[in-house]
Amino acid sequence: MTNRCMTNRRLTRMHPICTKQYASIGQQLIIGMLCSALLACSADSPDQNTAALNQPYPAQTGGTLISAMPSDPSGMIGMVAGESASLAIGAYLFNSLLTFNQDLDLAGELAESWQVADDKNTITFKLKPGLQWADGKPLTSADVLFTWQLIIDEKTHSPYASDYQLVTKAEAPDAHTFIVHYAQPFAPALESWAHLQVLPKHKLAGQDIHTTSFAQKPLGSHYYQLKEWRHGEYLKLERNPKSVLGPANIDSVVERIIPDPAAQFLELMADNIDSMTLDPITYARIIPSRPALQAKLNQYKELGNSYTYLGFNLKRKPFDDVRVRKAINYAIDKQEIIDGVYLGLGIAIASPYKPGTRWSNPDLTPYPFDPAKAKQLLAEAGYVDSNGDGIVERDGKELSFEVLTNLGNKQREKTAVIIQRRLKEVGIETRIRTLEWASLLTNFIKPGDFDAVVMGWGLSLDPDQYSIWHSSQQGPGQFNFIGYNNPAVDKLLEQGRIEFDPEKRMQIYHDFAKVLYEDSPLVYLSAGYGLTAIHKRVQGIMNPVPPAGVGYDSHKWYLPEPLRRTQIQAE
Amino acid sequence: MLNYLIRRIVWMIPMLIGISLISFFIMHLAPGDITSTEAAFDPKSSEESRQKLRELYHLDKPVIVQYGLWLERMVHLDFGHSFASHQKPVFWAETDKDGNTTPGMIQEALPVTLLMNLVGLFLTLTLAVPLGVIAAKKYGRWPDRSITLFNFIGFSIPGFWLSLLLMYWLGVIHPWFPISGLHSLNYAQLDAWQKCQDLFMHLFLPVVIPAITGLAGVTMFVKNGMLDVLSQDFVITARAKGLSDRTVTYRHALRNALLPLITLVGLSLPGLIGGSVIAETIFAIPGMGKLFYDAVMMRDFPVIMGILTIGSALTLMGNLLADLAYAWADPRLRRGVMPQG
Repeated sequence: MTNRCMTNRRLTRMHPICTKQYASIGQQLIIGMLCSALLACSADSPDQNTAALNQPYPAQTGGTLISAMPSDPSGMIGMVAGESASLAIGAYLFNSLLTFNQDLDLAGELAESWQVADDKNTITFKLKPGLQWADGKPLTSADVLFTWQLIIDEKTHSPYASDYQLVTKAEAPDAHTFIVHYAQPFAPALESWAHLQVLPKHKLAGQDIHTTSFAQKPLGSHYYQLKEWRHGEYLKLERNPKSVLGPANIDSVVERIIPDPAAQFLELMADNIDSMTLDPITYARIIPSRPALQAKLNQYKELGNSYTYLGFNLKRKPFDDVRVRKAINYAIDKQEIIDGVYLGLGIAIASPYKPGTRWSNPDLTPYPFDPAKAKQLLAEAGYVDSNGDGIVERDGKELSFEVLTNLGNKQREKTAVIIQRRLKEVGIETRIRTLEWASLLTNFIKPGDFDAVVMGWGLSLDPDQYSIWHSSQQGPGQFNFIGYNNPAVDKLLEQGRIEFDPEKRMQIYHDFAKVLYEDSPLVYLSAGYGLTAIHKRVQGIMNPVPPAGVGYDSHKWYLPEPLRRTQIQAE
Repeated sequence: MLNYLIRRIVWMIPMLIGISLISFFIMHLAPGDITSTEAAFDPKSSEESRQKLRELYHLDKPVIVQYGLWLERMVHLDFGHSFASHQKPVFWAETDKDGNTTPGMIQEALPVTLLMNLVGLFLTLTLAVPLGVIAAKKYGRWPDRSITLFNFIGFSIPGFWLSLLLMYWLGVIHPWFPISGLHSLNYAQLDAWQKCQDLFMHLFLPVVIPAITGLAGVTMFVKNGMLDVLSQDFVITARAKGLSDRTVTYRHALRNALLPLITLVGLSLPGLIGGSVIAETIFAIPGMGKLFYDAVMMRDFPVIMGILTIGSALTLMGNLLADLAYAWADPRLRRGVMPQG
């Protein structure tokens, strides 16, 4: 549940999905061994309750939902915590002015309405009437103003401050109105107000945001409030009856901290947790091989908010030649990677946007696997195998480069190996090197000392990708580290930032994706599915899964009384 | 005796400084800092805010200056605050002006790890000593061979694999033990006796499995020590005096054979607070191993240095205790170390 919540609300921050999988020790190995162990001692007995699980019950309140997350949040103030666990728990506790609805369009959360002034420099938010914090104190525009002042404060160490620093002036003329002024139109502003978790002024005023005990004992306004937190063990959340969006159905939510995915899966089997995120092997192989377990679970798949790519250092030869980049794109079989690495649980993409959403250009199709065309393009670029060693050269120099990826991310390592083989078939030699995340970033990406990388980008819900593709964003530590420089793209990105009209923006980003497609500055490899298993005792889950993800309306989920865990109720 | 003790303790100060200096520089040899691990690849974060963070944490200063700043804080026994974890105090709880207490990270993790490892060490020793003695007494016969076989199996099985198998067997198929975690969800509602039971059940697998896999080394150590001693002249003398086999084995031979064990236990003291990343990850126990591993991966310098400092201080103390225990157990050594005594 959390992880889905994270995907639909907060992972829109474009977290580097799966970039840091250190904690899962030999995850693949463990799963593999476990898989054989499970098959070897199959002790399934048909569960009599399975029939009851499939029976629909009317919506009702009460019960405890238990799920697992891989790491302990560092604190509850998302703006300074900067990691996904804090943001995920924060999403249970705090509201933002805006949110995304089930179709991923902007909608009001604390705000009843919002209006962009004619000069597009001013946004006025009107708050819903009668908002209150869980302690009964009124939630007003003063709290929103306070939160904004907090995140832009010089003393606040927030990695996310930059969007809010663009606000030249913010004001709260009355308790229900919040107005922000920008020096120039900034369309992604609206999305930024869907991310800022509004904090209570009456609890935090005058406190040091970094050391305040509020991070351990928060007070929010959303569906749940924190009741108990055993560090590194579990968090207990209790329904907030004063929730500004109306109370949730399920009484309490427990998030257990279980770092190891194999241990999480055992807990799921033993019916100690109700939901967990799955990896492709568990989803496609392990659960289907255990009918008794499968009968107790609903499995969900939804397109995640990230994609994997092969990126080139465009400042280096031969990647400055578009024919070479296209040749590599044609030489790689994306479907093979999806089938081999993700067990088919992914799709090939043609633009840096989630397929099926408004921003994804439907006219583009992924580069097909076409080695003949790849060889032809290489020949056009002057690369031929003249000495018969199987590797093409130009001016006596072989086409050979190094592919870097981060250590511990098995999916990327496998992907790199598959690419290596396909490129060899068209006469390109590659060497794979895996590096620990911090070292990859500091020693290679930041100084621009690499040939090619297999990495991932998150897909944001707002289409603005200025920081990734604009030519001005190439400095050390900035995100256009591949050195992409195309005036046409720069212009489109600048236009997209000042255009608020969704239809016009859509056209701009469709054009942008088309230019990228023709330029092929990186090879889109795959967008994987997010996979979740939820016990069938949880009912009221939207089916089919909306674009916003399975956890989108988790407040409407309910646990029918006959299906609840008895021992937890006994408390 | 007292002089010796004081000398040793005073000597620990330059040693600790040396250790911390080396650790600090090795830590900084690893590329990257907190700004390259936290939100570093999130396009919503900006390089300016990362630079600001670097300045706030003095990460932009030369390493030697950073070390000086760290040492200055350490003189006041201030372990600082974690970079990665919301500025939590590294070592001990702190109370703010409103009376709210934030627990220290090491303070939370250390008792768990200590409890697990002490029980584990105790278990290993209580099993290894009798097994080693039996193996030595029945050297070459079936008890010895079966103990050796058992040891080698225990030694060769990967701990995490055995853990997962037992978690599956004793947690899923026969739900006798909890699979992971340290407390039940209703722990706060239990009475004292039930709390003990709950803790025992949760710690059973995480303690027993490393004890089994760690048994091999100590058993072989005891067995070989026993074999050596049993063939020495004084044992033959004792037997010739007509002492019973029991007295010879346990009063004369075993006590001598156990002497080297003091070294072994002394050496394992730093491990007691170190914890095991793998066991803690699999069993979802928030101990020192996981804390240290995560800190290294996040480049959370204050936490790394805090754990290393406390760890090395305890190691030096452990060495001292082992030496003292030696002196207490072995009169020959006592005279060598302290000529006046």
